[in-house]
Amino acid sequence: MMSHSKLAEIFNKDEAKVNWHDKALWYVREKRDTAAHHVKGWEYLRDLASGIKANVLSNLDNYLVEFEKNAQSNGIEVHWASNAEEHNKIVYKILTQNNATKVVKSKSMLTEECHLNPYLESKGIEVIDTDLGERIVQLAKEPPSHIVLPAIHKTKEEIDVLFQEHLGTKPSNGDPQYLTNEARKHLRDKFLNADVALTGVNFAIAETGGFVVCTNEGNADMGVHLSKVHIACMGIEKIIPREEHLGVFLRLLARSATGQPITTYSSHFNKPAPGNAIHIVIVDNGRTEQLSREDFRSSLSCIRCGACMNTCPIYRRSGGFSYNATIPGPIGSILSPGMDMKKHSSLPFASTLCGSCSNVCPVKINIHEQLYKWRQIITKEQKQPLIKKTILKITGMVLGRPKLYAVLGISVRWMLKYAPRFMVYSKLNAWGKSREFPKVENGNFDQWYKNRKNNG
Amino acid sequence: MGKSSILKSIKENKPTLISLPEIDVNSFEETINLVETFKKNVESVGGNIKELGQIQDLDLEIKNRYPNAKRIFSQISESVLGNVQISEQTKPKDLENLDLAILKGVFGVAENGAIWISDEQFSIRILPFITNDLVLILQKKDLCQHMHHAYKMIANRTRTFGLFISGPSKTADIEQCLVIGAQGAMSLTIFLI
Repeated sequence: MMSHSKLAEIFNKDEAKVNWHDKALWYVREKRDTAAHHVKGWEYLRDLASGIKANVLSNLDNYLVEFEKNAQSNGIEVHWASNAEEHNKIVYKILTQNNATKVVKSKSMLTEECHLNPYLESKGIEVIDTDLGERIVQLAKEPPSHIVLPAIHKTKEEIDVLFQEHLGTKPSNGDPQYLTNEARKHLRDKFLNADVALTGVNFAIAETGGFVVCTNEGNADMGVHLSKVHIACMGIEKIIPREEHLGVFLRLLARSATGQPITTYSSHFNKPAPGNAIHIVIVDNGRTEQLSREDFRSSLSCIRCGACMNTCPIYRRSGGFSYNATIPGPIGSILSPGMDMKKHSSLPFASTLCGSCSNVCPVKINIHEQLYKWRQIITKEQKQPLIKKTILKITGMVLGRPKLYAVLGISVRWMLKYAPRFMVYSKLNAWGKSREFPKVENGNFDQWYKNRKNNG
Repeated sequence: MGKSSILKSIKENKPTLISLPEIDVNSFEETINLVETFKKNVESVGGNIKELGQIQDLDLEIKNRYPNAKRIFSQISESVLGNVQISEQTKPKDLENLDLAILKGVFGVAENGAIWISDEQFSIRILPFITNDLVLILQKKDLCQHMHHAYKMIANRTRTFGLFISGPSKTADIEQCLVIGAQGAMSLTIFLI
């Protein structure tokens, strides 16, 4: 199992691509800012969202029961799954009951988490991801690298080659208009011939038993309304109490995600169309366990906008795959250790703790504080690398002794100035790996501050 | 099995009840020109919007904008362009080659350029998605400021299927380049009356 930093190193081999990735995501972050600044009462809106989600987690069992009752009275079938395996079996059972062999799927991070596609494929079912970004990574046999922008790690030239191979397109030097249009034709055919449509759920409303699915492409609706059967998969935490709360969440979601004022389509499903069926699968898969952890339970408030990824200086420069988890980035780094602490033990350290993730989070999850708390737990429970342990021990000792700190400061500054290059940029100095140190000035902050005071 | 164990686990693990905040809509009120804000936002999400002096001009405007549309469904009595009929026998796939759908918008939301439509208006749910192009007719008086008002306006509806639609289908999944016309309608034109 490779650590985050090792995987990040691989991503960083292509410097031009890293720079592009970094800038592209920062651009999305800036669009988010502009969108947020245009909303009067934005911060109050975040407070409301955070408060509603806190209430949801404290009353989740009752809301789920209320949701089920109302959904059933509208003719929706409700299923419950404790884990990924149960979830996959339920979905497969519904497919066999409907003699379905062709499934179209819109974006659902939950089904990624449950590894539904490989499971269904092993049973001979064709599963087509219909979000363009997800279709791209599916053709490339890769997982999504971002929850909102699944193919953000791919260049348009790479997509061009991929489409030539799988969709028989002509070489276009990566013309986005042409490639999107070819994908539209390809997916149109899949929509028209699908037996069952699978979607995620953005919000499920206890009060009405309905649910909302948001897309920009219209792929969820194209799948659902052309098939006889709609299966919607949701984690237990997708519940909101009342329909009026959608006013809060739909105002926040797209603005935080991409800087749009709302997604193109926000579809409200309450009853199946005459002659059709809607199934909802409600999934736990480790969520109730996360609910038991007081310090980490608010991570379940996440509405999957991806804003924390777009703003994160680590994510932008290490790419989604460096996290090796279904949900990458800051929010993934506090969710994943709860699922498997050993596997994901390096993730809470993949952060500068700058707090930008918490600042942009539409439901105000204290992400960076939870990263810090996971570090405390992981350091106690997991064996740390010897070098890291030793360095931290020495650092602790030095920082606790002001005089030693001052002496060491002087010698390090001397070293940086006069020691030969091979010593300063040696393997032991991780900070010198891919960057030049700034010019060393005389004196330190302490001296500068004292002089400044003396000079009035 | 799943249900009882999930509910039991939640009961054991959930925190003590935290009260549900009430939404103070006054915090979001602004004095804005609804029509101008709506128009600006429709354009920002890639939609076309035009104010019509009178509904009689509608068909001429549609013909100008969509000169090649042959198979047209219209829900609007003021438009005579419709030549595709939809009945209970119509199957969703029958609409595969529909060029244009002309529908009434129930109301619009100024803050995001979204329009609410529902299957009370079109018996086949795939209609606004599968049509190559979509035209929505909206009364200027049917505009609200933001989503909190919007949910008040649909609070007492018959709940089957409905949606907020904001602009044409789009994607930026290839290197963040915005492309209008993904899997749903390739364009959206709104006529404000």
